[in-house]
Amino acid sequence: MMHDQKAPSRLPNQPEVPIATSHCGTVCILLWMAALIVAGSPLLTGTETDTSPQANSGAQTHKEQDVAEHSDSIEDELPIDRIDRGHWSYQTITDTPPPDTGSSDWPRTTIDQYILSKLQSAALSPVAEADRSTLIRRLCFDLTGMPPTTTELSEYLHDDQPGSYRRLVERLLASPNFGRRWGQHWLDLARFAETDGYEHDKIRVNAWRYRDWIVDALNQDMGYDQFITLQLAGDVLLPKEANPSSATIATAFLLSGPDMPDINSQLERRHVLLNEVTSTIGSTLLSLQIGCAECHDHKYDPISQGDFYRLRAFFDRAVKLKANQSVSTLAPNADPVAISQIHPRGDWQNSGPEISAAFPRIANPSDTQITDKIHPRVQLARWLTDPSQPLTARSIVNRVWQHHFGTGLSNTPSDFGVMGEEPSHPKLLDHLANRLIDHDWSLKDLHRQIVLSSTYRTQSKPPTASLTNSNSTRAWRDAKQGDPDNRLLAYFPRRRLDAESIRDAMLLASGTLNQQAGGPGISPPLPEALVKTLKSGQWKPSGDKADHHRRSIYIFARRNLRYPLFATFDRPAANCSCANRVPSTTAIQSLLLLNSALTMDASQHLASHCITQHAGNPRSQIHEIFQRVLSRTPSREDEIDCISFLARQTALVKQQGSTQPTMVALTDLCRAMFNSNEFLYVD
Amino acid sequence: MLKNHLSFSSSDKFKTEKLSPPKLSPPKLISANLSINRRNMLQQAGGGIGLMALQSLLMADAGEPTESTNEPHFAPRAKRLIWLFMHGGPSHVDLFDPKPELSKYAGQPLPDSFGNVMTRRKVAANPLLGPIKPFQPRGKSGLPISDFMPQLAEHADDLCVIRSLHGDSVNHPQSVYQMNTGSILMGHPSFGSWLAYGLGSENADMPAFVVLPDPGGGLKGGPSAWGSGFLPPTFQGTAMRPGKTPVLNLKPPTGISDSQQRGTLDFLQRMNERHLLKRDHDEELSARIAAYELAFRMQSAAPEVCDFSKETADTLSRYGVDRPKTRDFGQRCLLARRMLERGVRFVQVYSGDTNGWDAHKDVAKNHGEYCEKTDQPVAALLTDLKQSGLLEDTLVVWCGEFGRMPMSEQGKGRDHNPWGYSGWIAGASVSGGRAHGSTDAIGLRAETDRVHVNEFHATLLHLMGMDHRKLVYTHNGLDERLTGPAEVEIVKGLLT
Repeated sequence: MMHDQKAPSRLPNQPEVPIATSHCGTVCILLWMAALIVAGSPLLTGTETDTSPQANSGAQTHKEQDVAEHSDSIEDELPIDRIDRGHWSYQTITDTPPPDTGSSDWPRTTIDQYILSKLQSAALSPVAEADRSTLIRRLCFDLTGMPPTTTELSEYLHDDQPGSYRRLVERLLASPNFGRRWGQHWLDLARFAETDGYEHDKIRVNAWRYRDWIVDALNQDMGYDQFITLQLAGDVLLPKEANPSSATIATAFLLSGPDMPDINSQLERRHVLLNEVTSTIGSTLLSLQIGCAECHDHKYDPISQGDFYRLRAFFDRAVKLKANQSVSTLAPNADPVAISQIHPRGDWQNSGPEISAAFPRIANPSDTQITDKIHPRVQLARWLTDPSQPLTARSIVNRVWQHHFGTGLSNTPSDFGVMGEEPSHPKLLDHLANRLIDHDWSLKDLHRQIVLSSTYRTQSKPPTASLTNSNSTRAWRDAKQGDPDNRLLAYFPRRRLDAESIRDAMLLASGTLNQQAGGPGISPPLPEALVKTLKSGQWKPSGDKADHHRRSIYIFARRNLRYPLFATFDRPAANCSCANRVPSTTAIQSLLLLNSALTMDASQHLASHCITQHAGNPRSQIHEIFQRVLSRTPSREDEIDCISFLARQTALVKQQGSTQPTMVALTDLCRAMFNSNEFLYVD
Repeated sequence: MLKNHLSFSSSDKFKTEKLSPPKLSPPKLISANLSINRRNMLQQAGGGIGLMALQSLLMADAGEPTESTNEPHFAPRAKRLIWLFMHGGPSHVDLFDPKPELSKYAGQPLPDSFGNVMTRRKVAANPLLGPIKPFQPRGKSGLPISDFMPQLAEHADDLCVIRSLHGDSVNHPQSVYQMNTGSILMGHPSFGSWLAYGLGSENADMPAFVVLPDPGGGLKGGPSAWGSGFLPPTFQGTAMRPGKTPVLNLKPPTGISDSQQRGTLDFLQRMNERHLLKRDHDEELSARIAAYELAFRMQSAAPEVCDFSKETADTLSRYGVDRPKTRDFGQRCLLARRMLERGVRFVQVYSGDTNGWDAHKDVAKNHGEYCEKTDQPVAALLTDLKQSGLLEDTLVVWCGEFGRMPMSEQGKGRDHNPWGYSGWIAGASVSGGRAHGSTDAIGLRAETDRVHVNEFHATLLHLMGMDHRKLVYTHNGLDERLTGPAEVEIVKGLLT
């Protein structure tokens, strides 16, 4: 119905953009090789190959032409043209040498050369490097989602040997807490929750295994190609592994969204589910809003309804639904008789022409076809991770960058289409994408490159007043004026802690964090008023109280009720893939942090610990609290303020009849610290 | 002022238009050179502003103007809306849609001429069940209302009953979502969120969208029903309840006195001020400092709206607050009125716990109970709004997620019916004492002047001065609307 509106991306008078055709042959050879390798691999033993007529009908002649036409003859399907292919994200990844930045000794890595070069073009320069206690706090939260312990802090601040920063980076990348931090970023994209949603919001008993699989995969630095391959086709590639935490569970990725097992029509349920799966693949793996073509051809991007349902066709047979039963993982040929067809207007009751699995044409310039030799989902994974497929690597590099700097190189991380934002540093994006592919898709290598850069180590605040006329002050002022959104990264962007980090940091600082890893989700107690918004019995606090202090990623993710601190501090609702949490600032957040049992509990533990450790010595108590909560020692001014607050508060509560005035006052001090901007933001 | 709904996108625009927060604190706590808007206005609002200047802060991050309202698309008929949501599905054929034929053919199966009908519990072949209670012509208009609702019946001349509503799912959560969000799927923004997004708050010191859930809890589909979906979380419904802690965490932890809390907060704000001084007076950090002052004020101010001590005994009695059966819904209707008076744009009041009006087994028993709980409070609310003149520019909506089947279930009960059912609207100079549209002879399907849920929403938005086609939010490449992607017309017949 929107065909007539498809035009904007290719007006007749737009100049033609030349496209690279030379890769076509290479792709074919690579795919052919991949096919041989996979076919001969023991991994595929026992795999059911898809020998259906549909699969065969798709494998036809290979067309080497700029305007690809698919073998399905779908009426009105507009061909892809040169102008469509000219859009930045569809073009081959280029590898230009890092720009020359003259005699500057600022760059430590190639990243810095790209960043500095752009800054120079804008007549800006990077600000000075942050101090060491700022850097360790930044790095720890960024890589592990928690602040340094007092021991870690002290070790780093006293390590004056060369390479101390690099050693810190290596230690954090190797920490099991790395995966518990970065796993959540992926779980946001996977709209992960452990229940179905809708009325019954039933528990998916094995959902936690997928969460653990993600955490483990990231901790082991599984290559991103393997990471997504197993999530798309782990059941096909590693079917014999009995251990449920094996690759089969990885396919829970696609089925982690909401589902309605009890709806009257299972056909409707199936349609909604598969369409959502298809949209999620587009937005998470390709950074394309393919889901927009569910009802009609994409309004702006060259993605037709045919493209959408051909992508869905990879999964039509992988899912078998049973009424009133949750579904968790994909299975090879779960539903061998499923028909793949177009549903005009996205209506499940509306049956269009039958189609077969094929890659979205715009992302498939070499017109790679599906063969019947290999399972279609394996082919999809191979195609996605083929080095000549530019979207996959650009997408993940941009996401990793975004989580380090708050903003991606492209600020629309799940939309690289024409409505998305072009990258601020396209050559840097390509450089990192190339590097990722060259380093076996190692994400840890990418993290390392980023956090070792000078760009990552800059200050996030203006130089102190004593340096009013220094270069650094000028750099700061110029950047604030010349680049108010800081897209050129002259300075490090300050960021608020995310919901999970706030809670984990409070638990760690108060000494109550239970670092036990993995296993079924745990449920801390919740206020009765919230529990009542659920069906009865849907939130039962975990019996073992020690579990209430586990890391946030292990809190049971009920789709119909987010843990209140998470909901209040902008964790997404897990109904659709979320690439970017937008932080809000509200009075409700303040009330929660000031008055909740969580804060009170952490404050009491921290105060009690300090009173025991440093009995009768308020100065030492204050030092310990500052180190645990803010990762720094208090200034003279801080100290004076704290001491006078403690004196007044102690007198006040004593007057009000408190029997433990020192403890109560110190608890209030801790409570204030956990509410402070310095705690809630990372410089 | 944001007015370009067409160009609003989720990813970036929101971040670029940050606004400075309101200031509510004693001036000494925040250095004077912070750029803080709206100081005067909020200071004038004084200490008795009641329910939170919450919205202003909720909005502060959203790039939404914190000042009062956004302009509607055209002159609105209603400035505020109260939605009485009867969870579970009230039976139209027993309340607002008299069906003599149903009495006549009671006990017989559905005639073949009605064709196949999709039902939740396979009741299509069950015998028809006649109306449980008699209908009477009411008021000057003679609009029929059954004996289940004798007090509401006295307002018949103010009610425009829509007898031809219809939706798309025989399931509860899907229909709860659809009636609230326009879509049967989870995760879309609710009607109230769209209003908050489009119109802002009538009083910037108030949340635009408040939900008063049934204390029995367990709405089918959960709090997603008032969620903001893909709109920013600032626009989600704020769930509140009567009593001394209407909002979670409103009070200091047990054992902490107000002066102790104030002392702690002063210390906190001094730390924040030192922190801010070294950071270029960053706006986001300033906003959070102001949020703490507001939070502190809310601790004393918020319960004001829930404090009924200034209501007369007569008022309390009219709402039924003095009787156990009507106390809960009466309190919440009264609370809703007090919120409307204080400028809340949209209050949604739920009746019905997990099962609510879901009368599968025994309509007489179930509806007898729920009508007793709600009839008097709803009537009192209408009386109050009318007497104060508020009804002229207030829209009142009453409906459930669907109606009920003419066939029986388990003898005396009825199954879900989304294919044709009733709701009513009042106020906003919509003429009352009439019925719009009709169902077929037995109340199975909407037949004439059919009103789909999306059309119902479009019409309600129209009464609020909003064009549903222009109330757009760009999400993941799609221009999303409350009424969905298809063309939807407003129902002109409801506007007279």
